[in-house]
Amino acid sequence: MNPFLQMALFASLAASIANGVIGSYIVVKRIVFISGSIAHAVIGGIGLFAFMQSYFDWPWCTPFLGAMIFAIFSGFLIGWIHLHHKQREDTVIAAIWSFGMSMGVIFLSMTPTNQSEIISFLFGNILWASLNDIYALLALDAIILLLVLPLHRRFLAICFDEKQAYLQKQPVQFYYFLLLTLVSITVVLLIQVIGAILVIAMLSLPAAIANIFTKKLSRMILLSSIFSALFSLIGMFISFELDWPPGATISLTATVAYLLSLTLKQTSYTIPVKLTGGSECTRLSEQEASSTESHKTP
Amino acid sequence: MIEINNVSFSYDGKKVLDKVQLSLDEKHCYAIIGPNGGGKTTFLQLLMGFLTPESGSISINNKSPVEFRNSIGYVPQTPSFDKLFPLTVEQLVLMGALSELSPFGFWPKKVKEKAKKALETVGLIHKAKEPIGELSGGQIQRAYIARAIMNHPKILLLDEPTASLDPDVVKEMIALLKKLKNDMMILIVSHDLESVMNIADFVICVQNQVSLMDVHDVCHHFSLGVYHQLRGKK
Repeated sequence: MNPFLQMALFASLAASIANGVIGSYIVVKRIVFISGSIAHAVIGGIGLFAFMQSYFDWPWCTPFLGAMIFAIFSGFLIGWIHLHHKQREDTVIAAIWSFGMSMGVIFLSMTPTNQSEIISFLFGNILWASLNDIYALLALDAIILLLVLPLHRRFLAICFDEKQAYLQKQPVQFYYFLLLTLVSITVVLLIQVIGAILVIAMLSLPAAIANIFTKKLSRMILLSSIFSALFSLIGMFISFELDWPPGATISLTATVAYLLSLTLKQTSYTIPVKLTGGSECTRLSEQEASSTESHKTP
Repeated sequence: MIEINNVSFSYDGKKVLDKVQLSLDEKHCYAIIGPNGGGKTTFLQLLMGFLTPESGSISINNKSPVEFRNSIGYVPQTPSFDKLFPLTVEQLVLMGALSELSPFGFWPKKVKEKAKKALETVGLIHKAKEPIGELSGGQIQRAYIARAIMNHPKILLLDEPTASLDPDVVKEMIALLKKLKNDMMILIVSHDLESVMNIADFVICVQNQVSLMDVHDVCHHFSLGVYHQLRGKK
């Protein structure tokens, strides 16, 4: 096998575990846009650190370090706003999103550096994955699993109902910030695979598809990891055969799979009505009625 | 049991509760009524310690509301959640005992037993393994009550538990609350006076200020047309 493809294969499998676990929490906690904001804020860090590396000749000032610092900082900022100023949360998310992008574009335009490295941060290039990238992804997998296994039910509780967790004197703020930190670190490492612009698709879509097929979070995490690995492999194969950019092809594969699974869900929902007639129609109408009833916002 | 001394609270400078003075006994069930924006939900939030009084103090069994939180069961107003949320009814109820979760994230056997009993009490044991998204409105309310009572709270707070439920489901809900009334103090925020009058011993009228009335006095007011006036405001 082509050695580049072999490394890319290992990198995508290693990324799938982190992707499946953290992506599932992102989807059920409905913080997809928070994660999107973190992913785009990272571009500011990449631009600033690439500029400082080139301007001041500081070799340690790598775009990767800038991405990590900006990701964690923006995660904490959004978390603080979510916990203390909920009414302006969406505006602040948009502000951080555009601030990161603007900083990135400005500093990158002033940086006479290796543009291909910057392009790979923005759009990803899994075919360039190095052994160090794979070790970093495996280390992240280990950290995530070690933290998530004992904290899974606590994370589930704060994802579902923060107020109830507060009522039981749980350190909700600590768990929320821990979750956002894990999201930030995962975003930065996945950027190596798929790029900052498209990372949000890969974090949310496999988990959203898994959620269609299961109503248990542990199974959703497992399925999401499998889907993530599958989309990466299919995407890489297509990109290799057609000479398309791998990050965009993987993201496109996940999007098509999501749209297909939504159609499949819709079909499986309507077929019983046609086959069984009145009684099933009644059952579905009742479900819809109760769904409407319980969806009213308090 | 609950002592509220001269408590005031404002939102953005607008006084919602003004010098509230109240003493509530643990053996009784209280219905909290009042117009929209009158301060009913604020009153509950203060009791749970989610809000801090601007002035005055609240003590529950000689403790602050925050210290007493573990002994309060809370059923939110028309629970709303993502229907696709991957959670079973049993998992929802177990969330009522988060503080008893082991450091490695496992539920002790006794906690699972308590959850089972709570589900039996509310008549949802047969739905334990079903996703919460597949429950009807009344069943969701009962599942939330199971979560609130599973850890045997001393006080049960319910915010509009009968809102948007069918009359038959409301009757079931009231029958369930009557059953629970013997074991804990219950405070129900409700617009549905007719239903909660069946279980309440006292009525707390909240409209910036608070007045406590015996349920029989409120029944007397009904004949004077106050009831219809309140219904009109609803």
